[in-house]
Amino acid sequence: MKIKYAIILVLVVIVIGAGIGLKMFFKPHADVSKLKAEFKVEATALIGEFEQDENAATDKYSEKVLEISGKLVVKNKLSNGTDLLILEDEMQGISCQLDSSWSAANQETIEALEGGNPVTVKGICKGYLMEIKVSPAIVVK
Amino acid sequence: MEIFIWDSIFPEFLRSIKINAMLKKLFILVLLVASVGAFGQGKFIAKNAYISFYSSTPMEDILGESNEAVTIMNAETGEIGFQALMTTFHFKRALMEEHFNENYMESAKFPKARFNGKIEGFSKDMLNAPVADIKITGKLNVHGVEKTITVPGTLGLENGQLVGTSKFKVTPENYGIAIPSLVRDKIGKEMEITVKATYLPFGQ
Repeated sequence: MKIKYAIILVLVVIVIGAGIGLKMFFKPHADVSKLKAEFKVEATALIGEFEQDENAATDKYSEKVLEISGKLVVKNKLSNGTDLLILEDEMQGISCQLDSSWSAANQETIEALEGGNPVTVKGICKGYLMEIKVSPAIVVK
Repeated sequence: MEIFIWDSIFPEFLRSIKINAMLKKLFILVLLVASVGAFGQGKFIAKNAYISFYSSTPMEDILGESNEAVTIMNAETGEIGFQALMTTFHFKRALMEEHFNENYMESAKFPKARFNGKIEGFSKDMLNAPVADIKITGKLNVHGVEKTITVPGTLGLENGQLVGTSKFKVTPENYGIAIPSLVRDKIGKEMEITVKATYLPFGQ
């Protein structure tokens, strides 16, 4: 009788283990639209922080969800179809690559965006390389 | 051979667009003029250059792609600087991305990969000619380890735009990237790196 229970126990452990393993393996990418922003910042202030001390700002913001408000200067499409928004400065501003599934579902919002207008985006900060890289991102307003 | 250092060209470039707004307008003008065709002077930049990392395994192919790399080319000397943020590599599975950043590349400690090199036998004509094969020799810095490498590539005009590409293999172990023995046998010994940049001219 005891052996029977032991076998059942081992089988249960294996099934749970396999389940967790498969779940981890097939874990989907983070859905930015559902994530809560850890920092809410003004675009110019964020650029200032990276310009002043790149390493400290990278430690603080890299891989974190940011909500950034600033002036839209460029709206573009990359050759792979990704929508690209640049805030504040074309060369040294904040480059946001929009989440492809969010983009597909919100084409009207993207089309309505105009250069020179204020915009608020939410996305994962990837660090600094000439400009601040944020991807994937979505438009909040 | 003197290999130029990104850090010397990079701040210089930043200063050049910072000087004043007029210069910036000029720069944008230059970008517009660029659509007419590439001219062989000054420097070229690509801000959304493509770089991918590929490895074949029996279970699944691993492909990481980024289109956020930045590269600058000196049109006088044929020197090329290339930088990529490790965290911008995107993989099919979230778990692959996590392992890539946390276990292998240690992106928090070494956020950028850099390459500073020079096109062998460079001449300005290459910038106005159809796509041709080139060789680039320079220093590749990945995971905090620097190695001198020579890689094949192509450079030339494609639909009126200056396009540079390169495809080469790297061995992670050479850059101090430890791969656990459990998966070591399943991953190819070498990883294939593919780069593509569409350059636009800037400055003088």
